[in-house]
Amino acid sequence: MTTADITADDMAGALAEATGDTSLLGAGLSAATRLEGDLGLDSLDLAALGAVLRDRYGTAVELVAYVAGLDIDEIIELTVGDVTGYVNRCRPARRRAERPAEQPQ
Amino acid sequence: MSRFLIVTLPLTGHAHRAVAVANELSARGHEVAWCGSKAYFRPLLGPDAILFPTGTRLFRDQAGHGIAALKSLWQEYLIPMARFMLPSVDRAMLAYRPDMVVVDQHALAGALVAHRHGLPWATLATEAMELTHPLAALPRVDAWVRAQLASLCQEAGVTEAGFDPLCSPYLLIAFTTSALTGEQPFPGHFVLVGAAMLERPAAFAWELVDPARRKVLITVGTMATGLAADFYQRAAAAVAPLAATLQAIIVGPPDLLPDPPGNVLVVPSVPMLALLPRLDTVISHGGMNTVCETLAHGVPLVLAPIRHDQPVVAAQVVRAGAGIRVPFSRVRPDQLRQALVTVLDDPAYRRAAMKVRDSFAAAGGAAAAAAHLESFVQAAR
Repeated sequence: MTTADITADDMAGALAEATGDTSLLGAGLSAATRLEGDLGLDSLDLAALGAVLRDRYGTAVELVAYVAGLDIDEIIELTVGDVTGYVNRCRPARRRAERPAEQPQ
Repeated sequence: MSRFLIVTLPLTGHAHRAVAVANELSARGHEVAWCGSKAYFRPLLGPDAILFPTGTRLFRDQAGHGIAALKSLWQEYLIPMARFMLPSVDRAMLAYRPDMVVVDQHALAGALVAHRHGLPWATLATEAMELTHPLAALPRVDAWVRAQLASLCQEAGVTEAGFDPLCSPYLLIAFTTSALTGEQPFPGHFVLVGAAMLERPAAFAWELVDPARRKVLITVGTMATGLAADFYQRAAAAVAPLAATLQAIIVGPPDLLPDPPGNVLVVPSVPMLALLPRLDTVISHGGMNTVCETLAHGVPLVLAPIRHDQPVVAAQVVRAGAGIRVPFSRVRPDQLRQALVTVLDDPAYRRAAMKVRDSFAAAGGAAAAAAHLESFVQAAR
């Protein structure tokens, strides 16, 4: 791994764990895949996904709080890329630790 | 004798609960009039019912799920329906002069017009959405819904701050109990009466029901016909290998499943209340009417919620221990079969369903709803 940023594939793994649906692993998720419109996730699925992301990427990742801050159209259009972007923004400390060359001090 | 005007929507789960309550009011010697779509309510109520027609607005079968479905429910149905009904509900109240107006929680015009005329009104909470505030977790979605309501109120000339057409300040009757909602800090004028049930007369070939096998009823209700075919195919594939011990009855147009497995009956409708005592479990989308009828008979469920309050209802049933939730759009036949077998074989699910049944019986159902309406009017005199 050249980067610590999580990708759509990582999200597929987290979603499969959260929903128990392993078919998501081979479903070809991309950054543009919508959680609600394309994957049919509801609020309970999102809560389960939030728990998995917290376990995997640290307690700073609070997906439910992030979604609570979105307006109605942002939730409808929420994509895999939005969530990976959010998770990556939550982890600047880890990024600095793993990529010291990019953060010269 | 008191006079009640019922304002409700031409939707099975909403209208049938109102009819069950109206029948109890009539049995107690009160007079009941209706305001709603003539094309829907005249056949349901019969030729002798007093009916103030609102005209009929066609309800497009909704697509989508989740928050997108919630948005379209408000934007494309509830708010336009309220606007459409306002003038005829106004005429009905002037003509009938009821002692109390009884308003389905989503028949917003009834609440607005009753308020304008200074009439006391009761809410029939026929859905789970507005009772336990599941949208509290999504404050900006909640704010969007409130903004739709506020703009409707203003349009209808109701400008009092704090007026909420979803919840009567006088009396709110909810068709559930704390066995499902959990202990909640409900206001004192909220009463939870359990299930209010009305039989749906339907021709049914009882001779095709095999008493030797266990029986599952599979229904996604009357609203989701566009999504039903794919789910019913997966459900049929789920039950087919269980043919030796299980018979399934799928409710839907028979052409939805042209070549069903041998242990699957596909029928357009069922006499639900007559059939329920013979059922071992129900697979459903989690419409509150179907779920409450099922639990009122102590029958556990497998729930595949699609949208609106259905995920909320499913979560309540799971928390009560009376069923298992599966994902509607993704559940595979083997997963559905596993959920079904678990609910059938583990007696804990039926025991939990029977606990909900007992709480419904203690709550009194439609008769208790009628008694609360009656006492409110008597106390107001």
